[in-house]
Amino acid sequence: MKIKDNQLGWHALLLGVVFLLLMPIVFAVSNSFKTLSDAFNTIFQIIPSNPTLDNYKRVFQSLPFVQITCNTFFIATTVTLFKIVTSLFAAYAFVYFDFKGKNIVYFLMLMTMFIPFTVTMIPNYLTVSKLGLVDSSWGVILTQLADVLGIFLLRQSMRGIPKSLIEAAKLENVGNFKIMRDIVIPLTKPSIISTGIIFFINSWNEYVWPVLILKTKENYTLSLALQMFISSEGGTDFTIAMAVSVMTMLIPLVLYIVFQKYIINTFAMSGVKG
Amino acid sequence: MNDKKKNTLLGYIFLVPSLVVFIMFMFIPLAKTFYLSFFDWNMIKPVKTFVGLDNYIKVLSDPNTMKIVGNTFWYIVILLIINFVAPYILSFILSAVIKKGQNFYKSAFFLPSVISLVVGSILYLWILNPISGPIAIIANFFGITLPIWSKTEGLILVVLSIITSWKVFGYNFIIIFAGVSGVSAEVIEAARLDNVPTWKIFFDIVIPMSSATGIYVFIITIVQGLQYVFTPIKVITQGGPYYASSNVIYNSYHEAFTLYRTGMSSAVSVLTMVLFIVLLILEFRFVERGVYYEN
Repeated sequence: MKIKDNQLGWHALLLGVVFLLLMPIVFAVSNSFKTLSDAFNTIFQIIPSNPTLDNYKRVFQSLPFVQITCNTFFIATTVTLFKIVTSLFAAYAFVYFDFKGKNIVYFLMLMTMFIPFTVTMIPNYLTVSKLGLVDSSWGVILTQLADVLGIFLLRQSMRGIPKSLIEAAKLENVGNFKIMRDIVIPLTKPSIISTGIIFFINSWNEYVWPVLILKTKENYTLSLALQMFISSEGGTDFTIAMAVSVMTMLIPLVLYIVFQKYIINTFAMSGVKG
Repeated sequence: MNDKKKNTLLGYIFLVPSLVVFIMFMFIPLAKTFYLSFFDWNMIKPVKTFVGLDNYIKVLSDPNTMKIVGNTFWYIVILLIINFVAPYILSFILSAVIKKGQNFYKSAFFLPSVISLVVGSILYLWILNPISGPIAIIANFFGITLPIWSKTEGLILVVLSIITSWKVFGYNFIIIFAGVSGVSAEVIEAARLDNVPTWKIFFDIVIPMSSATGIYVFIITIVQGLQYVFTPIKVITQGGPYYASSNVIYNSYHEAFTLYRTGMSSAVSVLTMVLFIVLLILEFRFVERGVYYEN
């Protein structure tokens, strides 16, 4: 079989892609423990010869880093909770109620996926500014309390629950809130958790909107703090930037490694229409 | 109240939380941006001056616009090659040709997708540093000097697209892989027994049978890809040198928050939106023409 012979070649190709994708992360971790001179003189040495925690110490000295991490965590958690609750209710409405205009509303909501952020950024900025929320975490949170991705994913997963189960409960006059709490939520738990993790990671990494809203260091999120270390020349703060990078990716990576199967399956589902 | 009316009422009550957010922060702003595109304003002045279609005329006759539209086109082409064509082929190889290690490859490919693009930008800034980065050192060993890519027109688009793809590739791969592996194994096996060449199986069976997913990924690669590129542009080049790395999304931001020309920015945003709508209409056309749905 000709295909069999090619197997090694194909694996080499795929492993090459894996190498390209993961090498930057290995470099970042390695450099964050190197002295600046080692970072430039022993580039290809992955395990540092004089490992140091200096870069991490300096991050805490030069930035209100604990505060910045807390801000990022607060925004990501709040956004996630709101998005999950609003998505649960909306998905429940789309799956278990038959009402006028349902398809149009669903269609309009799906379309929001294709609205570029530039179309909403000026009016949203003005709204946040009018409410006096510029330079505050709530200014970042306010505009993202609902997400069509969550509605879509939870709707898909609710449709997997046997209709008869819900109908039986309705016949016995169980209220909708109770059905949702006692039947629907427990049965869609894996989807709710993975959707939540996806929201959390996305919000944790978000850059575009916070960069418009947050102005002072004390209110920054991690992505914004990291940006302060960038200069096209490489700069003398290079190893510190690597330390901040490592701390910025730590939480998403841990979440990903623990829940990877759920996350991948959920994302795979997001491309399947229905 | 009869059951039907009760259902409608309850349905909307459950939808209210999401609807309010979408209306307040998506649909009303959309209309407002459209409105602002007909005015001359700077976000601070108390009065907005109505200028009709002036902003659109200015945008469309600005020589920089041609450059930015050209850049946008090249961003789309490069992003599609790396994040649509490549994952399509690799998905096919992984699902139908080698089959082994699927979970490993999926996990590894997806990993960078959970990391901030600001991190990606800073990592690549170092890796691709033309003087002291690892790639430059390897190239020097072979006697090649890397160009200063951040100052080189054309090349800058490629580099910024690569940085963006680092994050987007795995995400797109997972979705395309789901579509491609949904193609019935028996059909592929049967073709193989008939000695149909592998590339022909890919073009004649796999692509048509996974086209619903394919078109979806094609569209999001453009719509979201152009928005993702914003981060490395903002972080690394700020659109420069001389607009060489700007695209329609970045330009709209630049007009609004650097030059404070609200009307110009809004006009650019509206035009971007029109481009996306055209893409969507094309998608629906395709779907209507009877794309094969895998489920």
